[in-house]
Amino acid sequence: MNFRKIVILFVVYFISSNLIGQSNFDKGFLPKVVLSKKVSNTLKWVNSLESRTIMYDDEDQFSLNLLDISSIISLKTNLNQSFNFGYILRFRDTETIHRTFQHYNVVNQFTSLKVGHRFAFEQFYQTKRKTTLRSRYRVSIEKPLNGEKTDVGEFYLKFGNEYLYDFQNTDLEVRFTPYLGFKASKTDRVEAGFDYRVGNFISNTTENNLWFRVTWYISLN
Amino acid sequence: MIKRKFLLLFIWTISCAVFSQEKFEKEYRVKPSEVPEKSFKLIKSWRFKKKVKWYAEESNDGKTFEAKTVHLNHVYSIEFNENGTLLDLEKKVSFSELEKNIQEKIKNKLSKKFKKYKFKKIQIQYKGLEEEVQKALLQLPRNEIKASIFYEIVLKAKKEKGYALYEVLLDEKGQIIKELKFKPTNSDNLEF
Repeated sequence: MNFRKIVILFVVYFISSNLIGQSNFDKGFLPKVVLSKKVSNTLKWVNSLESRTIMYDDEDQFSLNLLDISSIISLKTNLNQSFNFGYILRFRDTETIHRTFQHYNVVNQFTSLKVGHRFAFEQFYQTKRKTTLRSRYRVSIEKPLNGEKTDVGEFYLKFGNEYLYDFQNTDLEVRFTPYLGFKASKTDRVEAGFDYRVGNFISNTTENNLWFRVTWYISLN
Repeated sequence: MIKRKFLLLFIWTISCAVFSQEKFEKEYRVKPSEVPEKSFKLIKSWRFKKKVKWYAEESNDGKTFEAKTVHLNHVYSIEFNENGTLLDLEKKVSFSELEKNIQEKIKNKLSKKFKKYKFKKIQIQYKGLEEEVQKALLQLPRNEIKASIFYEIVLKAKKEKGYALYEVLLDEKGQIIKELKFKPTNSDNLEF
């Protein structure tokens, strides 16, 4: 039953990605590894590595577009709330972009759903360019595919919806992220799915991106 | 040499994964045809109007089956052992739905045990003969139900410093039978 659900989901994903792929969309791969280490009862150190590879339709080629290295200090302020303070170093072509950010997270556990809210504020620094600011809000919902909670060796679905507002360009980007997750062990999770982004939402020059994302969460507790 | 070290590390990682004796717990949906016949028949005879969902739970202590449904606006969980024998029936309620004297007993006990607390989930647990436990569904007064009653409460509470989650089981006298401290599950995938 569950295997059938998973297959159907993937078929729908691939059909939709092919349809979208026929218009002028940027598309490619976004693999990411997130490594978290508990420092104390309230403090966690989280590091991640993410790359972006663009797929070109015409030449049937791939090109490594950017690489993000991030480090975050996460401070738990309550059982289900945390403040994250982080830094991302982004290498894009010949550019290097520095980014600092602050997150406020709230995660609520319901009978069979887990809902996470993330409020973020980001600052971008680049040489010879003005510092830019961005705010974002994301809601993520995790639903186990078997039973009421995700146990080791079980699959789950995760849906995310994010809104990013750029203060410099005064424009909005909206992201939809359906993923299929697998809890491989008590400390490992792997998620694969799509990250669909609509940029310049307010202006008429709408940009569309579709990324196939695979994320591996490793927790060294 | 590097290759040998890598191989040793690999073997060590694999053996750790194989031999570590972690607490094993797994809960999953099952079809009615997969549950013990005795438990299925009992639930069928109770004629719930809403759909009954069946779950199996495996742990180091063994395997149990649970039927979950909604009846008269309350969530009920009915637990059976592997042979299909009824273990208990749990009814999810809000604190204000409990009888006033029980509310007082629980509040008294918890305020002695914890500096601060907040209810996350309350279930009334009925244990006893099938026909007596069934009376809980009929919402009969307490004196007409010849079953033992316990209160299973999930709390967000503070003892010394910092909040933690607790599962507390109290009897009708307000005595704590069981207290279990547990952590919220890892939510890295919803945060980062």
